[in-house]
Amino acid sequence: MSAPPLFVLLCSGEHEKIQMAGMVASVAAVSERPVQVFVSMNAMFAFLKSRQGDYRGGEFSAILKEKGAPDPVQLLQQGKMLGELKVFPCSMAMDVTGWKEEDLVEDLFEPPAGLTKFLADAESGQLVVI
Amino acid sequence: MPERKTVDARGAFCPGPLMELIAAIKLVEVGDEVEILSSDKGSAKDIPDWVAKVKHEVVAVEERDDHWSIVVKRMK
Repeated sequence: MSAPPLFVLLCSGEHEKIQMAGMVASVAAVSERPVQVFVSMNAMFAFLKSRQGDYRGGEFSAILKEKGAPDPVQLLQQGKMLGELKVFPCSMAMDVTGWKEEDLVEDLFEPPAGLTKFLADAESGQLVVI
Repeated sequence: MPERKTVDARGAFCPGPLMELIAAIKLVEVGDEVEILSSDKGSAKDIPDWVAKVKHEVVAVEERDDHWSIVVKRMK
């Protein structure tokens, strides 16, 4: 029996949580599990071209940076390339910030999507909120 | 004889070695092997688990001085 799809609702802007979301989503995707990631709220900032690599977090964030842990955005890009992974920017977040798709990192996002679609899709699998 | 490609992922942290292995496996033929070199202790366990999950085959796992060598055969 194949595993149910995984749905990750990523809202936190904390480096540690974005790192875990990148790890969970990419490893699940390359393990033959379909994955969708819906990015909203403070997590959006980590995906801005203008702030690429500028992760903000706590004590563990400093360790991740010092040790050169894999970049979470790059992990998601790898998961997309090597598995069945789709990442959606939240349409509400795009609307309230005025950001355009071209403001976000390249080679990662699908067109903006709404929460209604994401939740409807998530009925078929497991939802993780980070 | 299967061909073997070696990927040196020493210095990369989880899940970096796994991702490098998967990228390499996609590029070799079925029946060929990829050897991944990893200094990440977690990956030494995670990689065989992933191989079992997706039904490739672990040919060898060897702990060396400061890293692991894991040889994986592409089965599909």
